[in-house]
Amino acid sequence: MKGNDSIILACRDVAVRYGDVVALDDVSISFQRGLIHAVVGQNGAGKTTFARVVSGLVRPQKGSVEIGGTRLAGGSVNDARQAGVELVHQSFALPPSFTVAEAMQFGASGGRLYTRGGLERRWQAHLDALDVRVSAQARIRTLTVEQQQAVEIARALVSDARLLILDEPTAVLSPEGASKLFERVRRLKERGVTVLLILHKIREVLAVADTVSVLRGGRLVDGPLSTSGMDGDRLASMIIGSSARALDGEDRAALTGAAVPHGETHAAAADRQPVARLRGVNTRPDEDGTALQAVDLTVGRGEIVGIAGVEGNGQRALVRAICGLAEVGAGSVELDGADVSRATLAERREAGLRVIPFERNAEGLSLTSPLWENWSAGRLLARPLLSAISPAGLRRDCKAALDAWDVRYAHVGQPAGSLSGGNAQKVILSREMDEAGRLVIAAQPTRGLDIGATAFVWEALRKARGRGCGVIFVSSDLDEIFDLADRVVVMLSGRIVAEFRPPFDLERVGAAMTGARA
Amino acid sequence: MDDVVIAILRSGTPLVYVTLAGVIAQRAGIWHLGLEGLMITGACATVVGTVLTGSVATALSIAVLICVVGSILFWFVVEKLRANQIIAGLGLTGLGLGGTSLAIQSIFGSQAAISAPAGLPRIGAAFGAYGVLSVLVLLMPLAVFLCWLLLCRTRFGLRLSASGEHPFAARSVGVNPSAMRLAALVIGGVLCALAGAELAAGSLQIFSQNMTAGRGFMGFAAVIFGAGHPLWATLAALFFAVVGALGIRAQLVFGDRIPHDLLLGLPYIATVFGVWLSARLRGGAKAAAGGFGELRDN
Amino acid sequence: MSDSLAAIVRAILFIVLALAMCGVIFEFAGYSAPQMFQSIVDGAFLRRNALEHALRWALPLFITATGIVISFRAGYFNIGAQGQFYVGAICAAFVAEWLRGYPAAMVIPLCFAAGMTGGALWALWPGLLRLRSGADEVITTLMGNFLAGLLLVYVTAGPLKDPSGSGQQASSRPLEAAYRISASSGVSPTIIGIAALVGIAMWWLVNRTAFGVLSGLSGRNPTMVRWQGASTWKIGLASFLVSGALAGLAGTIELMGPNGRLAGGFLPAHGFTAVLIALVAGLSITGAAIVAFFFGGLASAALYLPVMAGLPSAAIDIINAAIALFITARSRFIDRVTKAWRRPWTTS
Repeated sequence: MKGNDSIILACRDVAVRYGDVVALDDVSISFQRGLIHAVVGQNGAGKTTFARVVSGLVRPQKGSVEIGGTRLAGGSVNDARQAGVELVHQSFALPPSFTVAEAMQFGASGGRLYTRGGLERRWQAHLDALDVRVSAQARIRTLTVEQQQAVEIARALVSDARLLILDEPTAVLSPEGASKLFERVRRLKERGVTVLLILHKIREVLAVADTVSVLRGGRLVDGPLSTSGMDGDRLASMIIGSSARALDGEDRAALTGAAVPHGETHAAAADRQPVARLRGVNTRPDEDGTALQAVDLTVGRGEIVGIAGVEGNGQRALVRAICGLAEVGAGSVELDGADVSRATLAERREAGLRVIPFERNAEGLSLTSPLWENWSAGRLLARPLLSAISPAGLRRDCKAALDAWDVRYAHVGQPAGSLSGGNAQKVILSREMDEAGRLVIAAQPTRGLDIGATAFVWEALRKARGRGCGVIFVSSDLDEIFDLADRVVVMLSGRIVAEFRPPFDLERVGAAMTGARA
Repeated sequence: MDDVVIAILRSGTPLVYVTLAGVIAQRAGIWHLGLEGLMITGACATVVGTVLTGSVATALSIAVLICVVGSILFWFVVEKLRANQIIAGLGLTGLGLGGTSLAIQSIFGSQAAISAPAGLPRIGAAFGAYGVLSVLVLLMPLAVFLCWLLLCRTRFGLRLSASGEHPFAARSVGVNPSAMRLAALVIGGVLCALAGAELAAGSLQIFSQNMTAGRGFMGFAAVIFGAGHPLWATLAALFFAVVGALGIRAQLVFGDRIPHDLLLGLPYIATVFGVWLSARLRGGAKAAAGGFGELRDN
Repeated sequence: MSDSLAAIVRAILFIVLALAMCGVIFEFAGYSAPQMFQSIVDGAFLRRNALEHALRWALPLFITATGIVISFRAGYFNIGAQGQFYVGAICAAFVAEWLRGYPAAMVIPLCFAAGMTGGALWALWPGLLRLRSGADEVITTLMGNFLAGLLLVYVTAGPLKDPSGSGQQASSRPLEAAYRISASSGVSPTIIGIAALVGIAMWWLVNRTAFGVLSGLSGRNPTMVRWQGASTWKIGLASFLVSGALAGLAGTIELMGPNGRLAGGFLPAHGFTAVLIALVAGLSITGAAIVAFFFGGLASAALYLPVMAGLPSAAIDIINAAIALFITARSRFIDRVTKAWRRPWTTS
């Protein structure tokens, strides 16, 4: 039963549950062949789950997926790939120690045994044909983020894919990188490949997609709708829904990526006393290979400084250098006028440094440990190791703090991993945003959070600024940075290459991110 | 000189086989501390099997079968029951050591060493003095080569490595990491059986309790030393064997002047050195063992 | 059902599974499983003086196990308790021998000090290798066990050799009677007192100090603790030293208590059993006290089996190994069953 030949993908009543959490709720949708389709929604709306169901990585509890009329056996990646579906993941599925050739090979069919030379020749040819400028001999871990993505896409195109799904491909790209990606996508459309883009910025959708479908809370709100003449505001309302609190214009724009915020100028920029100052800081190369080079940075009291840049250009090294977790070769770090270049992180925390780390789960929390232990860690480190503690007292204090921050939890003894992303981040905030903080480093604090939680984090950072704290805000989302920051600094290859004040211009900042203009 | 080389090959071959088993498991993401238990099971089964059935070939097959069953059990506990790899591995080793002891007691009624009427076939007089070495010694370089070929030049090997290093990447191309680990452990089981067979029946045809004396752990250490690469790990294993042989040699040369036990300790010291060196070379940062299970967050 | 009760239920279920597997192995080896289990239970808990025998083994095991609890909680897989146990005993034996003739009030404390120091040092070198260079402590401590075993054989056949020895098994001269802290029964107020003291001190360390909370966090996620400003160095070093010292203390107690002399290869399963106790107890000190008793019973059964029932003591080793195999397992099935009774984690 071939059905309507122009429908490439048809989902009927697809439902996915993870324990108590409903990821997809009876989603029925069909997509036409040969077009570029966008699926949008905030974090947690179910976009990635949807992509994974279609590509066979996740088996739905209910419902069916048909590719070109043929029904797929759920939960089988091989089946989906046979049918011509390929998925490029948000955080790439490339083993870091593999060479590019090996990474391409292990997903390919045919040819069991190979020689290294033959392998590299075969895949170099494929890469060249797709205009991907990467050497097949390079190891994945040495590639930049854009190169890795290009390799992932190349790998997805090895077999003759009919439907290519890209999960949040623009999240890690500079504006220019995103444009190049859209070019590539348009060329694929010319070749007859149907492309499904998971996006969450409205202006990207309007720039490249032919249709748009909106997911919210695991349900399909509407779609596929044609994007020609589509009203960005209407789309924003569909994405946000009515449940989130009232958001002001610029915030709303930043959250949905409808328009680029320009940022507000705050008064008296000049006479701020610096809360933190870095002078000529050099570090040794990080795990991802970047080292800081002659970095000068000043953060004033009551100021949010945004650190923009494609991931992997030294942002981590910068944060680690300020925290004292990186080996600083030259230069100095000052907190509130005092030189802390030789101080340990514990000492810097005493001096008022606070950090919301990049990875919530790996660096910010111990998922299997109880909430009260996670929350008390910093406090306990200020005391001698053998000092007596009262768990009951610590639990009380923790409970008070978590309640003050409106965290949804059952009891303070539950493991941190049982909280939702937004709540877990609130726990970290309750721990780091105390009154005694002078400099708060917020590294990708809203990553993976839904709109409500994101707005909450922004408000917390603004309140900290209002208290007189200095905030260093690292993000790969320019909309967010423009909305929040008083000043934006761009990092490239371990250097600070540009500084901007509001009103912010997307093109100029984007160009600085890729070094287009020296 | 010849007899030194022969001694090194004799003691090195079981170590190399068990190291290869460890390498394959490591690639699939398993820290296999059960190698010792599998090895002694292989040794016991070979000797006892020969005594009971009279045929070395049958005994060897039984040894392989038992080791494979043990490996499947280990896979089940570690994969399906998600037990901590290190503790479960030590448990498997304990089962091997205790089980062989129990078997000896039950079959022969005593704890004394068992002597088999025949051992593994020898290479033959055509090779001169080296003729006394068993066939498994001759096959050892082939095993190393096949292992290298499998892991580094086939798609199966790539998929195995992906299963260990980045299971999500493996699943995204339709590979089942769990099934890969099963394959890895089963192959390893066969190799451990061969290791045990060579140890017991390769030269002296005797099985005595605890005769592995930590060789399974040394094999594991060789895997670490060789960073999971079949060729480097094999060299590390041979290095440990050389140290062991030198120790015995030194005993003969120096007699009572150097404590006997100190020389016996040389391979263990070499192992510690090897682990330390490989950690230094790799920057010392990544110290986390693979499967901490409930004792670690991830 | 609280989380700890759920953990206990899980432990019991997996122990039962382990015993079932052992039963299969016993039958396979030609023994009657019911008879085997009956004899074990007899030897462990039912015969005359069984409780005293169980206690004799349980007390030193408990002491070592508390050290292992601390080390494992901190995330360091120090499985070298056997070696640290041996080195502690060796050091204490040397002190007792060198100071032969001096008053007991002076010698006994020095022996203890030496034993604990020796054990701590034998844990220090793998600890430093791990903390400074990242060398995996599983292998280094394991090798340390083998090396300590060889050291013990050397010492009892060499420097500390008993001149009047019968030659069957190398051993040192028996300690002077005055230095003994218990009769060969192994149970005395001194030993019980020491064990109780250790238990209370370690419980306090784990549950009522900053170290307890921080080392637990560090064990589960060292990265997180580092971002909070911890020096994993201090925590790690303390963990290795404490666990080594406690194993050395147990060795000293065995030497000066029930054994009275150092014998090559004595108590070869002490370290592994202590690790098991720590795991079955779910890394809790109070749990370790209870579980140690159970394993103490098993250890005494190991002596009973060959003598009274004509069964091989290897059966106990197999039981221990089977428990080790399963004890860290998790089963989604069991989790779901216990979840129904567990305190809810989320409000929604």
